[in-house]
Amino acid sequence: MSANSEARHAIDAVVRVVVLPKHLHARPAGQLAQLAARHPSTAIELVAGQRRANARSVLAVMGLGAVSGGEVQVVVAGPDAATVADEVVEILQSPETDG
Amino acid sequence: MVGIVLISHSSGLAEGAAELVGQIAAGTRVVPAGGTDDGRLGTSTDRIAAAIAAADTGDGVLLIPDLGSSVLSALALLADLDPRANGERIRLADAPFVEGAVAAAVAASGGLDLTAVASAAEEARDVRKL
Repeated sequence: MSANSEARHAIDAVVRVVVLPKHLHARPAGQLAQLAARHPSTAIELVAGQRRANARSVLAVMGLGAVSGGEVQVVVAGPDAATVADEVVEILQSPETDG
Repeated sequence: MVGIVLISHSSGLAEGAAELVGQIAAGTRVVPAGGTDDGRLGTSTDRIAAAIAAADTGDGVLLIPDLGSSVLSALALLADLDPRANGERIRLADAPFVEGAVAAAVAASGGLDLTAVASAAEEARDVRKL
């Protein structure tokens, strides 16, 4: 990757919108926080209604109170933003689990 | 990976919290230390010391106590196990028990160091549930 594309990634934010097939509860919140921990230089923010949460904080994500059928906006900025955004969307869209 | 010891007066509470945390942050080493040696409510420094040994993989151990004498027992043990009290190998978190354990375990599973895992636990105090 060239220095130019690195610089562009650092300022561009990737935005995705997901309609949740399940509540955004403990287990997916944990998966999101683990993903965020693997990408320490990438900012991952979730927006649900008036609330925003940094995906790094499993408790803040649970505190969004985002429920099945609700819309969540995913905003990712930093290295590998598009790839990371895809992974976030995959976690949010994976089928119902307990917990 | 940083290990986590959950210290409670109740073995059921410590074990249940560890089970819940294991569901949310799979692969973390979370060891419960609850109750007395003879199965009553209370805290046992022997049980806590054994749990610390079981949780320690070389990257440090975070202790999360529930209330009262759990905190005092952990402090007494810390003075023995970490006389230099530099927080490099073992730390005591000032955090809510369940939320702190979940946040710490997720941070540990992401490979963060003991300082960052302790911060994750303590930040749990400021996160609204509703």
